[in-house]
Amino acid sequence: MPRELVNLQIGQCGNQMGSVFWQRLCAEHGINQEGILEEWATEGGDRKDVFFYQADDEHYIPRAILVDLEPRVINNILASPYANLYNPENIFVSKDGGGAGNNWAQGYSAGEHIYEDIMEMIDREAEGSDSLEGFMVMHSIAGGTGSGLGSFLLERLNDKFPKKLIQTYSVFPNAQEGDVVVQPYNSLLALKRLVNHADSVVVLDNGALARISADRLHVQTASFDQTNQLAATVIAASTQTLRYPGYMNNDLVGIVASLIPTPRCHFLMTSYTPFTSDQIDKAKSIRRTTVLDVMRRLLQPKNRMVLTSPSKTACYISILNIIQGDVDPTDVHQSLLRIRERQLANFIPWGPASIQVALTKRSPYVTSNHRVSGLMLANHTSVASLFKRMLDQYDRLRRRNAFLEQYKKEKMFENSLDEFDDARATCDELLKEYKACESPDYISFGGPEGEQS
Amino acid sequence: MTTSLSSLICSLVPAARVNAVLRQDLTAQCQDILSSHIGQSHEVDFNQVVDAIKRKLLRNAPGGTDVLKFTNLLARLLKQHILSRKPEVLSFLTSVAFQEDPSLNPSSLFTRPPSPRRALKSKPATQVKQEPTSRQDTSTGRSKAQILREHRQSKSLHYAPEELLLRDSIYILQGITGKYIQFSSSDEDDDRIVFLEDQVTRYTVSPSTKALVHRLAELGYLYRRVDNFIRERETASGIGMIEQSLCHHLQSQLKEYYRLIAVLETQALSSIPQTGLERSNDNLASETGVSLKRLDVWLNDWRLRMRMMSVCVEGAREAQGGALVNLIHSYTDNGDPFVRNFTHQLLEEVSCPFFATLHKWLFSGDLYDPYGEFFVAVDTTLGPTQVAHPSSLSGGINEISADGGFGAQGGDPDDFAGPPQQGGKLWENKYQLREAMLPNFVGKSSGTKARILSTGKSLNFIRYSCHDSEWVVTREKMSSFRGTLKYSDVNGLEKSIDSAYRLASHRLFEVFIEKFKLLDHLSALKHYLFLGHGDFADQLMDALGPSLAKPANALYRHNLTATLETAIRSSNAQHDTPDVLRRLDARMLEYSHGEIGWDVFTLEYKVDAPIDTVLDALAMEGYLKLFRHLWQMKRVEKTLDRSWSRVISGARTFIRVPELEHEWHKIRISISEMIHFIRQVEAYCRLEVIECSWKVLIDFLNKKEGDLDSIIGAHRTYLDRVVKKIFLWNMKLGKEEVVHNMMKDAFAIVLMYREAMENFYNHCLSEAARRDQAADEQRGVFTGKYEPSASEDVAQTLTTRLHQYGQNFSDKVQSIVQHLQVHPDLDCRFLAIRLSFSDYYKSRKEARS
Repeated sequence: MPRELVNLQIGQCGNQMGSVFWQRLCAEHGINQEGILEEWATEGGDRKDVFFYQADDEHYIPRAILVDLEPRVINNILASPYANLYNPENIFVSKDGGGAGNNWAQGYSAGEHIYEDIMEMIDREAEGSDSLEGFMVMHSIAGGTGSGLGSFLLERLNDKFPKKLIQTYSVFPNAQEGDVVVQPYNSLLALKRLVNHADSVVVLDNGALARISADRLHVQTASFDQTNQLAATVIAASTQTLRYPGYMNNDLVGIVASLIPTPRCHFLMTSYTPFTSDQIDKAKSIRRTTVLDVMRRLLQPKNRMVLTSPSKTACYISILNIIQGDVDPTDVHQSLLRIRERQLANFIPWGPASIQVALTKRSPYVTSNHRVSGLMLANHTSVASLFKRMLDQYDRLRRRNAFLEQYKKEKMFENSLDEFDDARATCDELLKEYKACESPDYISFGGPEGEQS
Repeated sequence: MTTSLSSLICSLVPAARVNAVLRQDLTAQCQDILSSHIGQSHEVDFNQVVDAIKRKLLRNAPGGTDVLKFTNLLARLLKQHILSRKPEVLSFLTSVAFQEDPSLNPSSLFTRPPSPRRALKSKPATQVKQEPTSRQDTSTGRSKAQILREHRQSKSLHYAPEELLLRDSIYILQGITGKYIQFSSSDEDDDRIVFLEDQVTRYTVSPSTKALVHRLAELGYLYRRVDNFIRERETASGIGMIEQSLCHHLQSQLKEYYRLIAVLETQALSSIPQTGLERSNDNLASETGVSLKRLDVWLNDWRLRMRMMSVCVEGAREAQGGALVNLIHSYTDNGDPFVRNFTHQLLEEVSCPFFATLHKWLFSGDLYDPYGEFFVAVDTTLGPTQVAHPSSLSGGINEISADGGFGAQGGDPDDFAGPPQQGGKLWENKYQLREAMLPNFVGKSSGTKARILSTGKSLNFIRYSCHDSEWVVTREKMSSFRGTLKYSDVNGLEKSIDSAYRLASHRLFEVFIEKFKLLDHLSALKHYLFLGHGDFADQLMDALGPSLAKPANALYRHNLTATLETAIRSSNAQHDTPDVLRRLDARMLEYSHGEIGWDVFTLEYKVDAPIDTVLDALAMEGYLKLFRHLWQMKRVEKTLDRSWSRVISGARTFIRVPELEHEWHKIRISISEMIHFIRQVEAYCRLEVIECSWKVLIDFLNKKEGDLDSIIGAHRTYLDRVVKKIFLWNMKLGKEEVVHNMMKDAFAIVLMYREAMENFYNHCLSEAARRDQAADEQRGVFTGKYEPSASEDVAQTLTTRLHQYGQNFSDKVQSIVQHLQVHPDLDCRFLAIRLSFSDYYKSRKEARS
């Protein structure tokens, strides 16, 4: 009875990320391109059945559903050496192949037409699982497919599997330079679904990814491949405890429950260190990796995969550090003391909070130059500044009523643009809640007015 | 003075500062010392001496010239500054000068008359007593020798001729009664010699001669004792081997003695015709022959030797085995080189059987000690005991292979005979150290004896309890340095012991870790009973959860084992070795009425010999206790995870009672506090306690140093540490379980909270349904009977209860934190830091106060 997770990768970005992620998973579990366990992969200790299932012929098949409205990326995957890894029945490419034209509304309404097909895949995977724990959705929220179709599927998944967790790995657009002009619209509309229909969202800020890869790799602009590798590393590490079970955090609900105290504040930031050439091509090396170094670096804002402009009151709601490798438990103990002494992290005032540390095994099949590597999953209130930025960008566009024609073509916006306002309100509320989180009165947040004073 | 004394005492004797009685005693004692005259030598009064001399000089020579001369000399003496002790010089000179003078007792002038020298160093308790009659002669010594001689003649008393006495003395030396000198025949004092004089022989013996003969007779007396002892032992049965070899050595010594006597006898006989009976007494010293005095001188050596032997004999009556060796060994520190050499020689011989036993024990783990003389004692009621065949004793290891116990496959059926023993008890109690029997020269350093015991124990254990088939290899290694152990080579002995110890304990380590997979068992215990295999524990809890909520008597063991089986198969535990999984068992503890499954369920890990030497019953009990605590923790964690799902996703999706939304918010915050608490406690147990302790244990095992005892010790320390820290035991008396109980209370509150929350949830559901109905009704659609309910009140009570529990929980955690902050154990204190990492509980306390 493994706690299976079904992976949905939607749109160009989601599929690219997904394919790197699966490559990495295969490497870590000793599964070859054909899905067959390598002969030398006998060391065990891992659980492949969370993400893979075994077909009758001993093939390991990812529980992945690949959805895109245009065939380019998926064709690439099918032309890659890993083509045979995936279950062909789980690949959906829109027949017309036109894509969503970077239009959220188009992607969303496409969902209505292809809903049956996709739901059939999801149902099949869900039924094939012994005890399905939830869904992982990989997408970006800037474009049309990942954002629009992703939003649609989130709503439906939530509706159809109310008791299953939905975790998304959402790539947020680069705030400075968007390649899509309507990306503020798309992201805001998608954000509303992320707030309302996902249980936890791991925010992967394209801007931060680009900066980190530029920083680490010494290149002006990182290639898609490189940022995807970065993202895949983070995703793989965040599922490390599920795949290499230890004492705690062996299921998704365990991880998420300790990170997310209230339903709306579920946007998680990540940091990862050290990035090395094992994970990304041409990464520069990092000298020391003691546990303390790793844990300290994880707390540094520059290593966060989200570009934020934290206010003075910004604080951590919760932190989970997943430390991989050969770790002396006393080091962790010392590091925690040290971090506390130096007050490297601020925490919420309305409840107890601390750094949780999960020690996990590293894959025995992937060599690493570093003794220790770590991933931080953190719920930090400064993520709100990202939303604030999105909101501002949206407002700027919206004030001019720019580029709305494409949206009005779709049924949803035919009559009114209420949906935009609604999404904006949701985002605004979210901002307020994060703000409230920074004060000790959060406990009376949302209560009757009298109590709030 | 008293006050200054007492202050001095206080500064010198710290104990006196608090103890008033002691201080008083000491003060009184010091005063006594100060007022006494100890150490004050008797001053010779210079003037008194001078006066005395002058008086004497005047008496001798009334002319006064001598006195004048003396005064002159005295004046010159006084001028000599080099001489510091003039009165003493004077008194000495005086005593020399007037010694002949009977009227002056010179001894009165000596401040300290020289004590007569004692020729004998240590007199055995049974000294030859002088007869009172001999005193008479000395008292008459004052009379003129002439008168005496006449007196004697008148009484027709003659000195006994020396030749006769000599002959008798030689008899006496052999313990035989002579003609003139006899051992007293009366029972109570057979250690007395009697001179037969007067009536029968008309001979008398001069006191000096008597003294001489007495001295000689001591030898004879001692000889008799030693000889008796040997004879006694020859016939008796059940004599220890050490004693046997002592007898052997004594016998050979006596042989020497006989030889000497024989020589003396011939000498004495040959001297008789030469001198003749008529030789006068005055001409005692014959140039070549044997005289009593010469005899005395020649036998001087032997006297000491005899005394030593006698002491050994005496000792052998009280002590035996190692203790006897010890007794003899104590004389090796004697200052007299003769005594030292003698004892060394003796020890060399006497320790032979000891070393033979030691050899066998050290190199093959067999204890051949039929008379209980060795310093390792065996408890024969425990486990298989092999009594080595005596034939294999002498030769050491090579012959041992003939012994059945060494069959390479443990083929000797005897090895397996008997009921299976508890390894731990066997190892701990089968062989014990007998301190009294430990020879000093072996146990010089305290480590040595422990090493010896451990070496033999290890070998024995390897062979008979572990049935180690590769024993042969060890034996070969052992034999490579099997030097002969002997007394004269104590350094070599230490070395042999060391290397034997290293080999044996190393082998035992190997056997335990490689053959019996100790490490596998330890990690299995850590994985299963300490829930280290989290996925396994999760599965087990998921599967068992519903049935454990039922009353204990509704549980069936076969259900439990079946569930366990499922949990193993569906988790990573399936990759564990079958040997480990076979030992895993799920069962119920003894339950009493009213208990539910959660209270009585336990996992169990079964171990058997010889692993149970390390994992003994006590340790397993500790493991079980820990399991139940950790299991409870896990239960709380899982409960909270489910609650979280309920309040986060459940509440979001279909609770639509807006005015209660804020209550849910509060519940969420309470739940997140609980989750934080349980996660931190669990992480603490896992990381600070189990993993850190485990690391210490593994580091120790990897070093492969030490013997089985140290493995047991290391494991015990590991377990104790885990128990102590997980239960947060406070060492303070009466407070041991305070925090632990609070922890349990906190768990209980969580479970109650969860219950209350479920009730509230159900209430919300029905309320939502009711509102739907109401809405339907308003729209004119009838979907059921509309039931107006007193929902306000119900909600009120439910939320009040929730608040109460939440508040209780916070208070409880806060006081746990407070208790832990001052906990004597640093790690436990760290749990307080973990729980209040952001100082939440500190600021909360400040806010409330």
